[in-house]
Amino acid sequence: MGVFEFMVGRKKPTPGEMAKERLKVVLVHDRLKVNPEVLEMIRAEVLSVISRRLEVDEQQMQVLLTRENGADKLQTDVPIRRQKVKFDWDPPTYTPSSNVVRGRIHVEDDDEQ
Amino acid sequence: MDSRVITITSGKGGVGKTTTTANLGTALAMQGKKVAVVDSDIGLRNLDAVLGLENRIVYDLVDVVEGQCRLRQALIKDKRMPDLYLLPAAQTRDKNAVNSVQMEQLCQQLRQEFDFVVIDSPAGIEQGFRNAIVGADEIIIVANPEMASVRDADRIIGLVEAAGKPEPRLILNRLRPEMVKRGDMMDVADVLEVLGIDLLGIIPEDEIIIVATNKGEPAVYDKRSRAGRAYLNAVQRLLGEEVPLTEVEEAPTLLERLRRLMGFGPALPEKRVRSQSS
Repeated sequence: MGVFEFMVGRKKPTPGEMAKERLKVVLVHDRLKVNPEVLEMIRAEVLSVISRRLEVDEQQMQVLLTRENGADKLQTDVPIRRQKVKFDWDPPTYTPSSNVVRGRIHVEDDDEQ
Repeated sequence: MDSRVITITSGKGGVGKTTTTANLGTALAMQGKKVAVVDSDIGLRNLDAVLGLENRIVYDLVDVVEGQCRLRQALIKDKRMPDLYLLPAAQTRDKNAVNSVQMEQLCQQLRQEFDFVVIDSPAGIEQGFRNAIVGADEIIIVANPEMASVRDADRIIGLVEAAGKPEPRLILNRLRPEMVKRGDMMDVADVLEVLGIDLLGIIPEDEIIIVATNKGEPAVYDKRSRAGRAYLNAVQRLLGEEVPLTEVEEAPTLLERLRRLMGFGPALPEKRVRSQSS
C-alpha cells in the first residue's frame, strides 16, 4: 500500500494504515534529521528540473521521505498535465541514453474522468 | 558458564516492560532454569509488586553496588518458584545512584549464580537505560502497536546498535486482534516492517494481566489465559525452540466460534479446544 494512493485520494486509509504510513515518514525524519524546510527546498529543486521538460501539476506534486523494506528513501509523486506534455528535445544535447527514466512517472489521464 | 543476560526495554513508559520481565522470568524458572530478575528502575520500584514480593525487601540493588550488603542478602526468593530470585530496585534513591561500571560488575556477579539474568529497564533513554543494557548479551524491546511506542522503539534500536549490542528482538504487547481485523490498529507485519527487527512474541491485550498484577502472580501461571500462553510461547522461542505464531489467531470472534462449532470454517487449534471445553 503506497503512500500516494492515500494522498491522491483513491482509497480511504484505515486508522491502522494511517498509523503505519505516518510512522514510516516520521521515523526517516527522526533518523536523517531532515526538517520540513530542507524537504521543501528539495521539492522546489526537483520541480524546477522536471518543469524544464514537462508541464507539472505543481499543487499536486509530493515529495516525502519514507521507509520501505528496511531502506530509507525519498519518494516523489509528480502528476503531469497530460494535454500539455511536450517532448521538445534539445537536438544538440540529446543522446539516446539521456532520456532514461528511473522509477515511474505518473501521468494523469484526463480522458477517463 | 553460559548464562544469558537479557534486558527488557522500550523507550516509552507503560508498554509492559515490568509485566514482560516478570512473566518471562517466571516462565524461564518454570522451564527449570535458575533465574534472577533485576529491577533497574531505581526510584520507581515495581517488579517486586508484580511478583508479589513487595513486603520481603530488606536490601536492594543500590545496597549491593555500594557494598552495604552481599548480593545473596539482597536476592529475594520467589514465593512459588524455588529457582527464581528478585533483585529489587532502591525506592528512595535516584537514577544516578549507580553507574555503568557498577552495573556491568553486578551482571558479572549474577552470571556466576544464574542461567538467566532478566533486567527490567526504566523508561527513557538516559543513564538508567544505559545502565540496564551495559551488561546485557541480548536486548528485548517491548512495544505496543501504536505510533508513540513504535517510534520510541525505533529510537531504542538505534541506541542499542550504537552501544555495540546485537540486534534486539521484539515483543509486541497489547495487540487487539479484533481492532486489527477492523483496520483500526496496526498489524504485526506493519510494525515489523517499520522496525525491521525479529519478532520474539505477540502478547494479546488481556484483562488477566491486571488481575495477575493485583494478585501478585504473573499471568504465566494461568496456562489458559491468552496472555499467559503467549508469554510461554515467547520463552520457548527464547530457548531456541521453533514455536509458530498462533497467539493472534487464538482470539476468534463470536461469529467465527459459532461457525466453527457448527463445522464450517477452519478447525480450531488444539489448545483452543481444550480451553473451551474446560
